[in-house]
Amino acid sequence: MTETTDFEAKADIAEIAVERYKQGLLTRRGFIAAMGALGILPALSGKTMAATTEIIVVNWGGKAKDILQEVMCDTYTKETGIKVTVDGAGPSAGKIRAMVESNAVVWDLCDSGAGSALILEKAGVTQPIDYSIVDKSKVLDGAVYNNGVGNYVYSYVLASNPKLLGGNVPQSWEDVWNVKDFPGMRTFRKSVRGMLESATMSMGVAPKDVYEALGTDDGIKASIDRFRQLREHVIVWGSGSDSQNLFLQEEVSIGNIWSTRAHLLKDQMEEGSFTVTFNGGVVAPGIWVVPKSNPAGTEEVMKFIAHAQTPELQVKWLEMIGCGPANPAAAALVPDSMQKWNPSSPENLATQIMYNDTWYAKNQISAEELYVDALIN
Amino acid sequence: MPRLNDQTRYWMLVLPALAIMVIFYILPVLGIWEISFTEPATGFGNYVKMTESNAVKTSFILTFRVAAITTVGCLLLGYIVAYAISNFVSRLTPLMMALVLLPFWVSVLIRSFSWIILLGRSGLVNDTLRDIGLISSPLRLMHNELGVLIAMIHVMLPFAVLPMLANMRGISRSYTDAARGLGASEWTAFRSVYFPQTLPGVFSGALLVFVLSLGFFVTPALLGGGRVLMISEYITYQIQEFLAWGLGSALSVALLVATALVLLIAARFVNLKSALLERN
Repeated sequence: MTETTDFEAKADIAEIAVERYKQGLLTRRGFIAAMGALGILPALSGKTMAATTEIIVVNWGGKAKDILQEVMCDTYTKETGIKVTVDGAGPSAGKIRAMVESNAVVWDLCDSGAGSALILEKAGVTQPIDYSIVDKSKVLDGAVYNNGVGNYVYSYVLASNPKLLGGNVPQSWEDVWNVKDFPGMRTFRKSVRGMLESATMSMGVAPKDVYEALGTDDGIKASIDRFRQLREHVIVWGSGSDSQNLFLQEEVSIGNIWSTRAHLLKDQMEEGSFTVTFNGGVVAPGIWVVPKSNPAGTEEVMKFIAHAQTPELQVKWLEMIGCGPANPAAAALVPDSMQKWNPSSPENLATQIMYNDTWYAKNQISAEELYVDALIN
Repeated sequence: MPRLNDQTRYWMLVLPALAIMVIFYILPVLGIWEISFTEPATGFGNYVKMTESNAVKTSFILTFRVAAITTVGCLLLGYIVAYAISNFVSRLTPLMMALVLLPFWVSVLIRSFSWIILLGRSGLVNDTLRDIGLISSPLRLMHNELGVLIAMIHVMLPFAVLPMLANMRGISRSYTDAARGLGASEWTAFRSVYFPQTLPGVFSGALLVFVLSLGFFVTPALLGGGRVLMISEYITYQIQEFLAWGLGSALSVALLVATALVLLIAARFVNLKSALLERN
């Protein structure tokens, strides 16, 4: 989830290269050279693409790249001798698709999202997960797809600064909309993702009924109206680091932010000035997808996915960067002090809802428009 | 070599600059116009969508309001500065000039971030006010329109000062002296003799600041708390978040047309030619 400008620029150039290759403006050789120069194709020269000696795992860069490498990949290499390298190039659905369609697949495993996984499956550019190697029972319900399987989870959570609120901590989204008892600025994402759900719950809708309530135009409008009512108290975060800064600089006392950022903030803020509740949170799973005709071959990748299901490793992943374990068995191994911050602990899961990709596919764009209108002056 | 006439020679001198304008500005702009009519479908779809959207309307009003207030603020502050620099010769004059120009050497981004340090909830201004007991809880100085305006006026000020300064430097003192000699009070001499002569400078400063403010992006994005969504940021949002190139292009065409309209209306009241071309 950590993104840096540097990565974005790089990802963008890669996207352009893929696009040009597709359009036939760049030769295959030029394409490979360009990707190599960008560090997306590490050490490819002199190696055949079909070599199974190395698995390339792609995520979104930043600190998360180093930690994935250390926790999941280096341990796998130690066990099997097979080299696994993480690339932080940002495997957007568009890029994966372009790569497969242009027969220039260089990625073996990509950290995608549920929505993208479904789109890619429909486009026929990803492989089915081999559930005889990858254990279905080691993945949370709702994170198992034909062509994708959960790798970790993160949540949209209610974070607050008790110090600024005089110890009066909001426990529900209803409290967040109560500006009289809970003064101070709130921060919400500059996108409806994970936000409309909280506004809907603030009107007293039970978590399990949220997407049903949002299923109608009136439901969406009602939720958007909640933001209109609150807007004088809202500062908007664009990137994950924005949300982190707003809490660090004490600009906001309450916010709906990613649990991964909350995980960083709990260590950065003074004792007693930061807390989260997963009550009414929205859990979004990260999903592994395997592009068609990946260089390392299907079986090798499946074995690696199975390795990444190891509960101990998933707990370490949580401790290091806040990625919640996708394997339910990991919850029991999480140290007590960490349980509170674990988006997928049984206690926290019980009070949250699963992010609904189908809803987003249908309604997001029109909702975004209304959302912007409600928030701007 | 045959002798070219003067006109041809002047044209040849401006040719490189003209070529750069055409290739890197006019052609891409035309490309944008084309996209606004062709993506995702050919026709006026994007423009219909645009006029139907409340968010676009709000954003346009906001953009023009911020630009107008910034312009007025810059003119008021800038006029005083330009007047002081050009009329009171002192040892401080070079320093004042330097202070006007200095902000040009620092990137807009850095200047905007500096305002965050100053205006934040626990920023310098709020902390100082609280320490001397003037306020009990922090003022909201940024993440709203006020913050955007403060920073915009700061960023745009040199663009207002410089044209007015150039204009004022060309005004001979003898006019006001003559008025004074004929019995006008200091205020009357300023109002009816000096001020009218500075108007071309004021108008060119106003135009420069207003037009630049309309397309401004960085400062509102950083200091507006996401809620002061200027039209240029809205365009970025359409193109980057939704890949809606068509709508984004249509918005930018609309901004260009709106700006042109403002200039046309201004031209009815102001002699644009004298404001833009002649300093006196």
